[in-house]
Amino acid sequence: MITQNMINVEHLEPSDISSQSPLWWGQVCIVAIEATMFSILMAAYFYVRLSVDVWPPAGDQFPHTLLPSIALLPLILSAFGSYWASQAAKKNDRTGMLLGMGLNIILATVFFVMRIIEWHSLNFNWQTDAQGSYVWAFLGLHSFDYVADLAFTIVLFFIVLSGRYAEKQRLGVHVDSVVWYFIVAIWIPIYVVIYWGPQIVETQ
Amino acid sequence: MNQTEPIPNSSEREAQALRDLENSWQTPRGMIGWLSCTTHQAIGMRYIVTAFIFLLAGGIEALLIRLQLALPNNTLLGPDRYNEIFTTHGTTMMFLFAVPMMEGMAVYLVPLMLGTRNVAFPRLNAFGYWIYLAGAIFLYWGVFTNTAPDAGWFSYPPLSGPAYSPGKRVDFWAQMITFTEVSAMCVASELIATIFKMRAPGMSLNRIPLYCWSMLVQSFMVIFAMPAVMIASSYLLSDRTVGTHFVNPAEGGDPLLYQHVFWLFGHPEVYIIFIPALGFVSSIVTANSRREIFGYPGMVLSIVATGFIAFGLWVHHMFATGLPQIGEAYFTAASMMIAVTSGVQIFCWIATLWTGRLRMTAALHFVFGFIAIFVLGGLTGVILASVSLDVQVHDTFFVVAHFHYVLIGGALFPLFGAFYHWFPKITGRLMNEAVGKLNFWILFIGFNLTFFPMHILGLKGMTRRIYTYGSEMGWELGNILATIGAFIIAAGGVVFLINIFLSRNRGEIAGDNPWDADSFEWAAASPPKSYNFEYLPVATSRYPLWVAASERTFVTGLRNDRREVLVTTLMDAEPHHRLVLPRSSLWPLLTALAVTIGFIGSVFNAWYITYGSILTGLAFVGWFWPRLPVETKP
Repeated sequence: MITQNMINVEHLEPSDISSQSPLWWGQVCIVAIEATMFSILMAAYFYVRLSVDVWPPAGDQFPHTLLPSIALLPLILSAFGSYWASQAAKKNDRTGMLLGMGLNIILATVFFVMRIIEWHSLNFNWQTDAQGSYVWAFLGLHSFDYVADLAFTIVLFFIVLSGRYAEKQRLGVHVDSVVWYFIVAIWIPIYVVIYWGPQIVETQ
Repeated sequence: MNQTEPIPNSSEREAQALRDLENSWQTPRGMIGWLSCTTHQAIGMRYIVTAFIFLLAGGIEALLIRLQLALPNNTLLGPDRYNEIFTTHGTTMMFLFAVPMMEGMAVYLVPLMLGTRNVAFPRLNAFGYWIYLAGAIFLYWGVFTNTAPDAGWFSYPPLSGPAYSPGKRVDFWAQMITFTEVSAMCVASELIATIFKMRAPGMSLNRIPLYCWSMLVQSFMVIFAMPAVMIASSYLLSDRTVGTHFVNPAEGGDPLLYQHVFWLFGHPEVYIIFIPALGFVSSIVTANSRREIFGYPGMVLSIVATGFIAFGLWVHHMFATGLPQIGEAYFTAASMMIAVTSGVQIFCWIATLWTGRLRMTAALHFVFGFIAIFVLGGLTGVILASVSLDVQVHDTFFVVAHFHYVLIGGALFPLFGAFYHWFPKITGRLMNEAVGKLNFWILFIGFNLTFFPMHILGLKGMTRRIYTYGSEMGWELGNILATIGAFIIAAGGVVFLINIFLSRNRGEIAGDNPWDADSFEWAAASPPKSYNFEYLPVATSRYPLWVAASERTFVTGLRNDRREVLVTTLMDAEPHHRLVLPRSSLWPLLTALAVTIGFIGSVFNAWYITYGSILTGLAFVGWFWPRLPVETKP
């Protein structure tokens, strides 16, 4: 090579914790995939619901609304814990990350315990009829995502606690919050559909 | 930031830099090294070779179908075996050949075209390949143990439900879908992140090569379409294995819903296969016309519009199901709209070819073949978009002819063109051009001889999926012609394979840029080094290799002793930060094994979903566990 025009990038940071990171875009893609899945489940729910007159079918109880409504409080607050941790990750504030993730984990666990109690009170399951299948599909898929991301947050918590972390792990804390916001946010329309839908839409 | 400085003329430093690059990007030798490889060239080749093997498998199945239908009252296969073979043919071609092949080509080409060194998520890339391989082996395990699926490539319930398809055949099909879709989503996510964030500095949105634009649109389509088929196949699988009632009409489920969800994926799927082929065509046309592409903005907008419109067409697969008329009218209009975006692109290519200085390479032959066949397939598509005509020819060989015209014409011909075009980049040697042109004519004639008579057979009332017919139907001539044509296609395939094997060892040495083409992959060595470029290139034009050599610009300042790449901004591709990509790792393979245990086990016992999830979770912890030392030094 002879003399050439060169752009020198030596001065650029060797890592970045923000939406400029490719990993952040990867997480957005995961969120898009999951959001599509839940949207299709919702469309399918209405498709089946609108093809019958009586919903839920005779014998199935109306889902209770009290406990799931109370459970929204810890769920939404857990997103603030996640936000706190992600801001702390940008500033490399270890205490902030631990407190934020800790708050996230505790509140997320509280919500999940409430969900399990609610599950046990349902008098139908996925084998009962189509209504049961579709309601349990929401509960199952959302719980799967929920537990998976909660488990990752717990792992990240212990990595940060151990002190064995650097930019990559901080970026992990940051992008973990992206998925968590989604898991919290998508539950709200699902909650409206499966708990309030049968109550509000007039049944014969 | 843009400063002119001389490259250190000390050849010693240059040599040291190359050694460092070689060391940090090479894959360890041996079996473990092979299994832990994360470079995009190697993973891309694995996709391409594996998918090609499944093209051959699907081709053999097609020949068996044609042998069975060659003569009336033929008993070569019998009805059950025939069902299995056409189902396996369709499934193989769609899920194990077409999509993975397009993904593999992109995994190989996109980082080179963008002027970077790997995809954004190299380990996810390896994971995606292993998952695809596991799904493919799973389906063929079924095929070879008399558990081949037999309910058609879209497996409609109630036929595919537990009542009418007992046994495990359809379960194998449904779970294979999950495997291949996970794989496609992995590639789609990494391509989006790569194309958005790892382009060469200066490669603003209006300078992205059209092939990368098409892969970007295709990746978004994968992200929004593949979840639909995963849900459809999961409905079916859970109805069959754990007693849900998603599509069981006896308990309030709806089999028609399955069709909606399946085709919400199924129609975009056609474009997921076809849009990358449009990218191949644009690259081949530009290089061989030796001029800039005509109407770049129109091309980009057409690809993007195709991506959107593709999601509004699915009901035209369901016109025979008795949907409300207003819906049918809407979907007819939307289906015809796709002719506009396709037409814009065809006219742009013709304009480019018309005004260019043509070099009639074998690749360009395939492009001309593509235009001819695809336009014919498009015309029958317009016919099928019309409800009244569609209802007449629904489920006949007319439809079979149509979708082979658009898929073979629209995707396979450009793909073969792409093989001829990029083979010198991948192997360093040119393929034999004369044999290539012969290859093209054999395929072109064989293709038309096979599929053109099917239009007429369909109009004469020959339905899809019948395993034989009586001699009184008047279908003999068309069928025997189609069978002869199918064997001519097979002969074309053999010529192609011979050309590959001979050229691989004895072909003319290609050099870096044998076609004098415009995009960055031709600036890399042939075959590319594991790090692609010694200095990452800067895009100073939409056709960066066609600017004067004195104006070429490069990136300096990246560290060579680790896998460092440059991240740029989304719109203007300004350098933003450096990124250290992971090295080789066995975790993608181990994670894929864990997922495979869960997926395959759950076909037989639902508890494997839990076991598989726990194993996968543990594997992911291993994958992400910080390695010491953890700091990213400047």
